Amino acid sequence: MALSQTATSSTKVPDISGFWERKDEFGGGSFGGTLERIPKASIKPEYIEAAKRAAAAAARGEVVSFGSKWCLTNSYPFFMQHSAAWDIAQSQDEIIQAPEVHTFARHIYLDGRKHPDAEHLQRSVNGHAIGHWEGDTLVVDTIGFSNTGGTPGGGRVGPGTHLVERFKLVDGGKTLSVTSTWDDPAIYLKPHTYEMTYHKSEPGTYAFEEYCHADDEAQGGSVVPPPQK
Amino acid sequence: MSILKKEEIVKRTFRAFGIRVLGIVAAVASLMTTQNALALGAAAGPNLSGLWELRFDSANVPPASLASAMATEDPSVQYQHDMNAIRWCHFMGVPYVMGVSPIDIVQNLNGKEVLITTPVRNPSRHIYTDGRQHANPETFDPVSGGNSIGHWEGETLVVDTVGFSGEGVTRIPGGGRRTPDSHLVERFRLVDGGNRLSVTFTWEDAKVFQKPHTYEFRYYRAPKGTEQREYDCNASDEARAKYLLGAPGGASK
Repeated sequence: MALSQTATSSTKVPDISGFWERKDEFGGGSFGGTLERIPKASIKPEYIEAAKRAAAAAARGEVVSFGSKWCLTNSYPFFMQHSAAWDIAQSQDEIIQAPEVHTFARHIYLDGRKHPDAEHLQRSVNGHAIGHWEGDTLVVDTIGFSNTGGTPGGGRVGPGTHLVERFKLVDGGKTLSVTSTWDDPAIYLKPHTYEMTYHKSEPGTYAFEEYCHADDEAQGGSVVPPPQK
Repeated sequence: MSILKKEEIVKRTFRAFGIRVLGIVAAVASLMTTQNALALGAAAGPNLSGLWELRFDSANVPPASLASAMATEDPSVQYQHDMNAIRWCHFMGVPYVMGVSPIDIVQNLNGKEVLITTPVRNPSRHIYTDGRQHANPETFDPVSGGNSIGHWEGETLVVDTVGFSGEGVTRIPGGGRRTPDSHLVERFRLVDGGNRLSVTFTWEDAKVFQKPHTYEFRYYRAPKGTEQREYDCNASDEARAKYLLGAPGGASK
């Protein structure tokens, strides 16, 4: 086999490639147990009130989002808290996280580039992510989110949100720890930090395509009944 | 570089020093300590990683020799099928996504997978290069991208894909369509000193083609710093639906 890509450095980095999946380690079979262990975000009162209003509307049977009916794109960090596995492909200059859920792959550039300035920043559901290795830890810095979704622990994501994640293999490489720190002076009273762990899928695992058909009447069925008020 | 090749290199090194037994022990120890580590710059086969663009002269697509039923089909059938998929933001699938520029290829340093993404909201292409066979068709649900496995033949990555569904944009460049019976073989090869990437696509499907249909895309390596954007798709956008279909009742569905 020809090796035209010769080693340019003796530096070694952890191999975090492969499929990773969440498992409920603390709950009774659902993912609630795991999510409940995530510390609550300290957010501004207006965001707390907005969350309360949304919860009350849902309790009254009102539809608070048509995202599922229309198969709208899931925003980061949705796939990181989903039960479906996601795949990491790892080259020297880039890491891609490829989720099965209905969204885009996430590109983490490792080639030393910086974030674009505000004038040239293209906002996206996964944001603009750059990373570097600090020893055996991959540190990823992300800005430029286009969405206004949520985070585990009740945090929110906005246009000015800044995320720092630390990816590290533990348990002999069987588990991947990801510590996330969200910060945004418009939303958070203090940075919101939590850790989630992911388990390496068995060798031979392959990805599914998670279909969502907005033209399928049944797709909207889950949010249309009961009758709208 | 594969694990076996690493082992062979280590063995040869120790053989030169005349300490074969110690070499085997050291090789095993080396594999144990590096199983979760990757040497930067080392990968299986030529390095295809990077963003690749299509330009005006990239496509070399001859007309396909279509099977008789396909050759006489009303062209509007295929058009309406594909436009419906676009209007409803279905996954486009292969081969459509290979024609969306730029594609981004990340070739795992451990040699076990090549991942291809495109700017459209579509599942990534997972090309498994870890020696596995195709997924069991008895249990594999056909998908728009199929089930892809790859191996290296010299400096060419050969990708074999089956397990397609009829979802998405199924039109094949040059004529014909992707069906659940389609078999695709792609050959990825760097040319022009690594500045271009040649991908030849060969489709076989007895109900679609009289003979295998082959065409080539030659991508250009994108300038350094190029990034892949997200071309989102919103099926609830009524203006978009009207533009695509004349809004045959779809947008308000």
